[in-house]
Amino acid sequence: MNILVCIKQVPAKDAPLAIAGNWIKESDIGFEMNEPDSYALEEALRLKEKHGGEVIVLSLGPERVKQTIKEALAKGADRGIHIADDNFAELDPLGAAKVLAAAIGKEKIDLVLTGLQSDDHGFGQTGVLLAALLNLPHATIIMQIDVQEGSSSGTTAPRLMKLKRELEAGWFQWIECPLPAVLSIQSGINKVRYATLKGIMAAKKKEIATVTREALGVSAESTQKIEKIYVPTKTKKTEFLTGPPKEVAAKLVEKLKFEARVI
Amino acid sequence: MTMQREQLEADVLIVGAGPAGLSCALHLANLIKQHNASGAKPELSAENIYVLEKGREIGAHQLSGAIMNPKALAELVPGFEKSAPLDTPVTDSAALLFTEKHSYRAPITPPPFNNTGNYVISLSKVVKWLGGLVEAAGVNLFKEFGGADLIYEGDGIAGVITEDKGLDKNGKPKANYTPGYELRAKVTVLAEGTRGSLTKQLVAKKHLDNINPQSYGIGIKELWDVQPGKIKPGYVAHTLGWPISTKMYGGGWIYGLSNNRISIGLVIALEYENSRFDPHAAFQTWKTHPFVRNILEGGKLVRYGAKSLPYGGWYAMPRNFMDGGLIAGDSGSFLDSQRLKGVHLAMKSGMLAAETIFEALKKGDYSANTLKLYKEKIDHSYIKEELWKVRNFHQSFRNGMLDGFFHSAIQQITGGAGLVDPMHAHAGHEAYKPIFGRPAPERFKGDGKLTFDRLTDVYHSGTRHDEDQPCHLKVQDLNICSTKCVEEFGNPCQYFCPAAVYEMVKEGSTLKLKINAANCVHCKTCDIADPYQIIDWVVPEGGGGPNYDGM
Repeated sequence: MNILVCIKQVPAKDAPLAIAGNWIKESDIGFEMNEPDSYALEEALRLKEKHGGEVIVLSLGPERVKQTIKEALAKGADRGIHIADDNFAELDPLGAAKVLAAAIGKEKIDLVLTGLQSDDHGFGQTGVLLAALLNLPHATIIMQIDVQEGSSSGTTAPRLMKLKRELEAGWFQWIECPLPAVLSIQSGINKVRYATLKGIMAAKKKEIATVTREALGVSAESTQKIEKIYVPTKTKKTEFLTGPPKEVAAKLVEKLKFEARVI
Repeated sequence: MTMQREQLEADVLIVGAGPAGLSCALHLANLIKQHNASGAKPELSAENIYVLEKGREIGAHQLSGAIMNPKALAELVPGFEKSAPLDTPVTDSAALLFTEKHSYRAPITPPPFNNTGNYVISLSKVVKWLGGLVEAAGVNLFKEFGGADLIYEGDGIAGVITEDKGLDKNGKPKANYTPGYELRAKVTVLAEGTRGSLTKQLVAKKHLDNINPQSYGIGIKELWDVQPGKIKPGYVAHTLGWPISTKMYGGGWIYGLSNNRISIGLVIALEYENSRFDPHAAFQTWKTHPFVRNILEGGKLVRYGAKSLPYGGWYAMPRNFMDGGLIAGDSGSFLDSQRLKGVHLAMKSGMLAAETIFEALKKGDYSANTLKLYKEKIDHSYIKEELWKVRNFHQSFRNGMLDGFFHSAIQQITGGAGLVDPMHAHAGHEAYKPIFGRPAPERFKGDGKLTFDRLTDVYHSGTRHDEDQPCHLKVQDLNICSTKCVEEFGNPCQYFCPAAVYEMVKEGSTLKLKINAANCVHCKTCDIADPYQIIDWVVPEGGGGPNYDGM
């Protein structure tokens, strides 16, 4: 079973962000694997351990994203594909999905996994759009994947999965989904493994193929663009009421009545 | 817990990817390349050099002022000016004396404060860049791996055990538990930085101490983006005086980087009498001096961090070679305590370690007898030349600033000897005076614009640890904290820690120590400054700690 995992590289969670134009200033900060994608990678590695096959990591972005691909290879992915694109921060989810779909179309894949959303833009759209573009079934917020083994002779690839999806308020849903498919993995579905020293050394010898967006024949036109990015301004103010409980209670009632107007 | 550890074997294992460790790795890889190209035997490989780094990224735990003397870098990377992220050359060096309201610039900048020819850098950026060169040279660089224990063999060391990953806060394995490796090497280089946790173990066990115990300082730093025109890039100022009393040793810095970014900080020797002195609060107070306030006004805090540094110098340098082992960089006391410069000396020590190891690899002999070449090389290099001149410098300040200036002036004209040579030092934690029931001072709060409390600052250090892991600050006897320490010193850990890790919390009628280990910025101050020496800083799970991007 060949599984492809889409992994995004995002600014490190604790990076000191500065705004430049309508995006952040990227020169001064570190980048890391989008955390939701690390659960998708872990799930892919576990499926491979169970069902065999290959795990391919696909990432889009400038040269630096190779570092994130290497991390995935160190954890056990077999090979990586890097779509080189210096302006990928400008892509909207549809643009990104088109580029990814073009690269995935060249591979023979049984399953495509993505994280639920990215820690930077947080659209949560790329996986869904990708499925539509690849004309594949899709399911989101996946909490468990049970792949039904192939025909009794065991010669054909698996054709069906049972999927557990997380709904609201502690409810779950089991669905059946044919393969191949695109799934968005819920964060926390598994406990992500650590890269091992041997894995890190082995990763040096694994292949990372580089293609450009131009070579894939995908235009860079976005349907959305970011107008403005800014740091939220503080608008909430906490007020402490002091005095004996009786007085404070009276003051509170007054405030709830005339300021908050909730009673 | 007994477990099967996976074993790996390297030629050379370097603990710590800072200036010393990376310079060692890069220089050795270069020597090996030349050696192999010449066809000489035995053939060697840079792939058999392993470097461990506990940070999430190379450079993540690097913090310094920083002014760098480029001479070691020029030897290591010829033509470095073209590719290294050096930020800006020093254009103006000022020495300022602060009183509470005024500042006075010394008409002639004293030579130790003169930085012409040096660069203002972000050490984190430079080290990150150096890490790239090391990887490109074929060295195996492992980030997010810390050295947890040493493997002792004979009279020396034979490698390290890396930290166990995936243990919960009670030490029980989680689903992704991965035991640490047994990493063996022909030569292990400890380049852990200041107060290295393995180096501390090793120096104690093998009695490697010099005639003086190591003296330490703590440096607290903030990066700010200020309004244009406040400071010229390359402007460098060092301040003495307010708010540091003349009984203490310390001073501030203001460095202009490019793009209206500035580096400010305060360094204070960890050998003061007042057990409830708060270095972080002192730094915040220093920022309210009119001279500093004027620069910061309208600006914004970008990053915060803190780190200890070794002041002890030549007479506090531990024996730095043994069977199968060398000590480099801050771990080995390679820092000029007068100029407070260590980056170039750390790099040079790493390079000399590399040359020594290269000889050992060719000979196939890794005993102390071969590795003593390291010490000889140091003695014939500018490391000794620079450190020998200031061998008594820091020690002469043990009775305060005035006494220190008197002694150091005489040392200046006697080639470092001064009136007493060697001048002896005491461990800094012995300096505390009992509190005799005096009430605790009020804690510094900060105004949220110019000055900050510790938690706000820690937030700006980008510090992150998995909360569900064993506490990496091992206190040998918590009883002492609740009884003796409350009485005698009023729990200094609550005050000296610049990251609000230690808290005394009331439980019934007693005070109990609460450790917020996830806040820890890896400065090692607690390990150094605890009056009873019962705090052991051990490596947390790899990847934990601050993110000093740009620091």
